[in-house]
Amino acid sequence: MIAFEDHFGMAEAETRKLLELSLSRGGEFAEIYCEYRIYSFINMEEDIIKETAESISLGLGVRVVSGEKTGYGYTNDLSPGSIKSAALTAASIADSGNTASLPGFRKAPAAKDRYPLIRPAHQVSLQDKMELVRRAYLSCQKADPKIKKVKVLFSDQAQYISVVNSEGWAARDARPLVKLICTAVAEKEKRKEIGFSGGGGRVGFEYFRQKIPPEQIGREAAEEALLLLEAVEAPAGEMPVILAPGHAGVLVHEAVGHLLEADFVRRKTSIFWDKLGRKVGSSLLTIYDDPTLPSFRGSYNIDDEGTPPSRTLLIDHGVVHSFLQDRLSARLMGRPLTGHARRQDYTCIPIPRMSNTYVDRGQDDPADILKSVAKGIYAEKFEGGQVEDSGKFTFSISAGYLVEDGRLTAPIKQATLIGTNIDILQKIDRVGGDLSFGLQTGSCGKDGQEVPVTDGCPTIRISRMTVGGQS
Amino acid sequence: MTGTPGARSLLGLAELIVGFGRQCGADEVEATVSDGREFSVDVRRGSIENLVEAGSRYLSFRVIKDRKTAHATSSDLQDETLRRLVSNAVRRAALGNRDEYAGLPSLSSERVDIPSLRLFDAEVPKLETAQKIRLALETERIALEDKRITNSHGASFITSEVTTVLASSNGFVGSYDQTFCSLSVGLQAGETDERVEDCWVSVDRFLKNLESPETVAKKAVERTVRQLRPRKIRTQTVPVIFEPEMTDWLVGFLFACISAAAVYQKTTFLAGRLGERIGNENITVVDDGLMPGRLGSRPFDSEGVPCRRTAVFDHGILLRFLSNTYAGRKLSFPTTGNADGTGVGPNNFYLLPGAATPQEILASTKKGLVLTRTIGHGLNPVTGDLSRGAFGLWVEGGEVAYPVSEVTIAGNLEQILSQVEMVGNDLDFRAPVCGPTVKVAALTVAGE
Repeated sequence: MIAFEDHFGMAEAETRKLLELSLSRGGEFAEIYCEYRIYSFINMEEDIIKETAESISLGLGVRVVSGEKTGYGYTNDLSPGSIKSAALTAASIADSGNTASLPGFRKAPAAKDRYPLIRPAHQVSLQDKMELVRRAYLSCQKADPKIKKVKVLFSDQAQYISVVNSEGWAARDARPLVKLICTAVAEKEKRKEIGFSGGGGRVGFEYFRQKIPPEQIGREAAEEALLLLEAVEAPAGEMPVILAPGHAGVLVHEAVGHLLEADFVRRKTSIFWDKLGRKVGSSLLTIYDDPTLPSFRGSYNIDDEGTPPSRTLLIDHGVVHSFLQDRLSARLMGRPLTGHARRQDYTCIPIPRMSNTYVDRGQDDPADILKSVAKGIYAEKFEGGQVEDSGKFTFSISAGYLVEDGRLTAPIKQATLIGTNIDILQKIDRVGGDLSFGLQTGSCGKDGQEVPVTDGCPTIRISRMTVGGQS
Repeated sequence: MTGTPGARSLLGLAELIVGFGRQCGADEVEATVSDGREFSVDVRRGSIENLVEAGSRYLSFRVIKDRKTAHATSSDLQDETLRRLVSNAVRRAALGNRDEYAGLPSLSSERVDIPSLRLFDAEVPKLETAQKIRLALETERIALEDKRITNSHGASFITSEVTTVLASSNGFVGSYDQTFCSLSVGLQAGETDERVEDCWVSVDRFLKNLESPETVAKKAVERTVRQLRPRKIRTQTVPVIFEPEMTDWLVGFLFACISAAAVYQKTTFLAGRLGERIGNENITVVDDGLMPGRLGSRPFDSEGVPCRRTAVFDHGILLRFLSNTYAGRKLSFPTTGNADGTGVGPNNFYLLPGAATPQEILASTKKGLVLTRTIGHGLNPVTGDLSRGAFGLWVEGGEVAYPVSEVTIAGNLEQILSQVEMVGNDLDFRAPVCGPTVKVAALTVAGE
């Protein structure tokens, strides 16, 4: 764990005063969120380190809840006047004469550390980071003469947060986050294709020695671009789809995860709002969201309301088991907290979010799943997806193969898949035993807030799904 | 030096950074300060859900030393932090590689008359909180009066006021104020497992130009209910009519492909194709930063270069790439005033309207799809390929027959631009990147 750095230094008495001010208009709950974040960035392209950047983000947000209403004020000016003004803005959401009394503060018990690391990236010299970037770059460039363009980005950040609320709860976290990504453009005759790979997570710099060397990331990006040079148009229409283990977890992120976020559920806009305890998918399908996976990009020691998170069973053999909760939704729904309140930064209100979402392993042999498909597609890499509350969702394949007579044949170009969740979840008819996770590079957007996430799944067969190719 | 950030003028702060940078040995320094006030209220089912109000100030700068560049941003504006950031940046620049093309633009003698751009509405800061809340509540209330609407994502009213100040070591000093306001509502219609949804948002710089609660509500209702009881269709290649919001999306993808940054990086299929015919005669595209009151207008770009009007496509011929100083130098042409942070961004980037009314375009279509919404990713500037989840209205005999869902559209931007048969007269600049209704002769629509 990286050591917590306190850039606010608010004494308990000051904090109490601020919370009392926040509740002065009659709010039921108040919270102060302090955030300090340092971020650094290196970009290499055209054979040179083209730019470096450093960012500092410092600010504080005050939230007051009254019934179903939330008032929020924030500031990056830490003068007493500005902080007070943020508190009064938040306070104004309530308008009763009641004043709450504050209990004594309890420090959150020290959580099990989910970011064991040796060499924090924010303490590594710029020269060492540049060397890492160059190694990925050269490995990609040298992979093949057809690689005409390489771009490598490295970023690392350390985010220090502290949350104190009017129930007397005080918690803090120091979260590292590292990312190395490479894109490659391959050219053959007039054709150009782009490939991508990357790695990282809540890890130290040793990750690139112990887990994924930068050369591997460079090589994988090159291989994907080269593969796509040979790709044929994806087919169009309904057909069986096999999801490769790993990043295909984006399917359940879109088709299931978002619609089990409790804010959509309590507003009854999610198609799942009345489905708790009901079967919505194949019995082979069990889905978890787990913010406690060590070193994963989507993990945290406490959520952004200070709640210790737990692995949450979302779908149990096809049956909706629970929702992803923040404090407001959990209270309004009378459900337990799950530790899934997240926010992009101090300017944002926390909302229920996913962390690391995955389909649990099944019984099937992945080789048998492939053999079972006479004509369809094998979806291997993805560039993301989207869902709406009605359950319509898409995800886009950036690399995959045609499946013909139980074998992978030609690679296919990008294509979008579309379906309705309650329909597609029932069509999952094979689940492999080979659970793995996608790249540690992804983020998820909701209400304009981006947070780091990962997705995972074993090999899965969907009996029929609409594939949007051109042939 | 001491002093609280609040007490210092924005310009003083920007100039202080330029001075710090020069003291630390930078050859060139450029500093931008943005100071904003934000208000937003979300209401749902007749009561307030969230109310957010805040002021914030951010700094971003770059230093160049020996043609090596380093960037930094900060929301911590204490002197001590800023001095450290500046000296770190100069030290970081020294560790990078020399890049002959790096550097600030030379100072232009041209100046845009800022008041003539009409970027700021004095009524926006004056609007009372109670009135803002009322507008949002009213919009949702009117929408929910329609019995076909079964649930609400809520309505929002948002305002922002932003001051941008730029100072650079080439002698440029400039600042401008702008306002934005928006009113929106999101709705659902239909029963539990067969619900459909859509929204409508009105955005403008001027309060008086914002659509009324009635208009926003009616448009959101109409867009939502027209999707009720959708059918699936068979996979086929048909004419596709893009509604203006969908043309906005297509024009946005086009921008990504004509950005000079993508061109020198070879990540666009249009690299090396200046002067070539890419689209048919219906494709005339312009970037214009000087349109009074428009959302994408500004007097100067993020490097202090005066904005202007640039013709990008003329009747299908690709005339220019849009550029900042750096990408322009790489490609041996001058900047077009499209610098946006460290990259290239649009001002008002739009497809010029044609003569046809949307009704005429529909009437001309024997069989096809009106594209009303897309979801998902699936844009590849390197190849021009696009593929997205789609919602729309099926057309038979020049009339809308029924809604369609769970289809995807796929195609290639170059092919699409060469197959735009009709262009509507309904360009309304609702977004900085925009276009009117267009009809594309043939696209693959994948369904059953």
